[in-house]
Amino acid sequence: MDSINTLFLFSGLLIALSILASRLSAMVGLPLLLIFLGLGMLAGEEGVLGIQFDDYPLAFLIGHLALAMILLDGGLRTRLKTFRVGFKPALSLATLGVFITSALVGVIAMWVFELTPVQGLLVGAIVGSTDAAAVFSMLSGRGVNLNERVGATLEIESGTNDPMAIFLTIMLVELLVGDIGGVTETIIFLITQFGLGLVIGVGAGWLIARLLRWLDLAPGLYSLLALALGFCVFGVTSVFGGSGFLAIYLAGLMIGNQPGRHLNFILPVHDGLAWLSQIGLFLVLGLLVTPSEMLEYALPASLVALALIFIARPVAVLISIKPFFKFRWREIGFISWVGLRGAVPIVLAIFPVIGGVENASLYFNVAFAVVLMSLLIQGTTLSPMARWMKVEVPLGVTPERRGPLGILPENDYEMFVYQVDNEDLDDVPIRLLRFPSGALISALFRQHAMLHPKGSTRLRVGDVVCVIGRTADLPALNRLFNGDAKLKQERAFFGTFTLDGDALMSDVAAAYGLTLSSGEQDMTLGEFVSLRVGGHPVVGDDVGWHGIHWVVNEMEGNKVTRVGLRLYH
Amino acid sequence: MSANLPMNLEAILPPERTLFDVPGGSKKRVLEFFSTFIAQNTPSLDSQEVFSRLIGRERLGSTGIGNGVAIPHARDTHCKAPLAGFLKLAEPVDFDAVDGEPVDLVFVLLVPEEADDTHLALLGQVASVMNNAETRQRLRKSDSQRQLYDTLLDAIRREGGDTP
Repeated sequence: MDSINTLFLFSGLLIALSILASRLSAMVGLPLLLIFLGLGMLAGEEGVLGIQFDDYPLAFLIGHLALAMILLDGGLRTRLKTFRVGFKPALSLATLGVFITSALVGVIAMWVFELTPVQGLLVGAIVGSTDAAAVFSMLSGRGVNLNERVGATLEIESGTNDPMAIFLTIMLVELLVGDIGGVTETIIFLITQFGLGLVIGVGAGWLIARLLRWLDLAPGLYSLLALALGFCVFGVTSVFGGSGFLAIYLAGLMIGNQPGRHLNFILPVHDGLAWLSQIGLFLVLGLLVTPSEMLEYALPASLVALALIFIARPVAVLISIKPFFKFRWREIGFISWVGLRGAVPIVLAIFPVIGGVENASLYFNVAFAVVLMSLLIQGTTLSPMARWMKVEVPLGVTPERRGPLGILPENDYEMFVYQVDNEDLDDVPIRLLRFPSGALISALFRQHAMLHPKGSTRLRVGDVVCVIGRTADLPALNRLFNGDAKLKQERAFFGTFTLDGDALMSDVAAAYGLTLSSGEQDMTLGEFVSLRVGGHPVVGDDVGWHGIHWVVNEMEGNKVTRVGLRLYH
Repeated sequence: MSANLPMNLEAILPPERTLFDVPGGSKKRVLEFFSTFIAQNTPSLDSQEVFSRLIGRERLGSTGIGNGVAIPHARDTHCKAPLAGFLKLAEPVDFDAVDGEPVDLVFVLLVPEEADDTHLALLGQVASVMNNAETRQRLRKSDSQRQLYDTLLDAIRREGGDTP
């Protein structure tokens, strides 16, 4: 009885502390994962609470559960439209990139620890995959908004590179304990891992998405059903020899991109589950490590970590992206820097322990140190790096809160809540606002009282406005409520003037006295900018031409619809 | 570009081209009004030509830059030297501006066909003058033509002092 009570007390206390500490992270700029890990270590055998925890199989199980939930949530949140610019480079990074990173780190580990080639490569494979959840929670917490090319690439990379790292790790572990056959067997293993993961993930995901949309359930049950079926997908795929991690990520992707009211119930719950997984996983991993043991490896492990950060990752990114895709140098630079390592390496480092590899504690402690260093060095410098590398796009005003009304199941209306902080709207009667025609102000709050808004009601700065409208009205509404500071920031970035993407180049050239080559005469401005960017433009891309920066301001699919003119440098 | 800043705004915006209480109506009417006015003010210019150049530029994308400000601009064959005009409208008009707000402060810029770099440099200066929230507020609060011109001149000089 006593042990159950202690379990309740300690697990509750640790999770609560972790959540409270997340506020600290936002203020200090320390990566959250580092805090969770630190709390786990503090609670562990050499810390304050002195909890003895050496149960690797249990940690292994928790690691799998947590990773599955994190990947499912990642898939749910990834918008398929970001695949337009991010998919191919991400895929290259997730396959070729992981391979190169692992090989380079492997060689260095071999040299540092005097290991055999296979042992060295195992170290490389374990630390081969990246963690984007950490990146995005850091960046959005600091108000940094990455351009779509960089953001989508990092996000999709981290969702898809785990299977590759897991595959390499399992393969090398089996090689070390002598379970593996010849080259053909290895290749078949690779193909089944990826092939089955892909087929089952996409197929089952599509079916689950249909099912969820069609079923009429109590709101709380949608997310549970999605989770349960996600686990089924993971299990089935693994049983047949596929990569369950890849499958559950893809299943999440399919579910998250099937619009419908069920998503509004699923997403918040899975957000919470992903958090719980992150916290639980890192606490357990923090408990598992023995800090004094890790210290023995501290110096050589730091060498490996530094080599990963400053050599292996940049080289891997360069080789797997630069020759094939039109990325700018500063984008390559930022992606190289954001090779943040998270939970996956530490979980993978348990594989050798479970598999009974000789000297298994080395892998675990090295992986742990590498993740710690990566979080410390890369994690704390993310936002300054994003600014320095100029991969940001200014983020305009968005509603403070939004939520579906739940009345029309297909194309639902939403409620958007805005706070008026645009000085120019002060004292303006509502009827003079350029409001999107389908939207209306349903309520207005001023000094804790609700006013009944009429056409003649004059807005005040500080008012809170509830607008009912559709998603399509958002850009217009955001522009309307954009404060002066935001507008100024956007003008500094996109330029003072905005041209239509459909404008003909010949007309643009005539207006500003620019010379065109013969092929450019018949193009639209949007096509011209697309061409100069090198295809697949994203918002924020700019082209210097005739002393003007032509900045992509708005996109619809693959088409540039608005182009900014930034005049001075 | 800053090395040979060719001409500053102050020199190309004489008091008589700062217009107060201009009747609004619509974007087209405002541009028509200015074209007619500038053709009378500067005889070498043709009002039809000016109007079609300005409206042609608007077709590529509105010159309404937000905060109730528009900066219509064009190159003109008959234009000998850069010239500017400022209009404060009696009633804001819909200008199809980026932020959707109606426009009441209109800064027009006309340049000769060959003056391309000057064109961009002047546009940049106008934009930075009108980017200042305090300037816009003071322009809106001006209640005479004289006060409007003084405010504008003051803002231009202050802006000019900032740039090297």
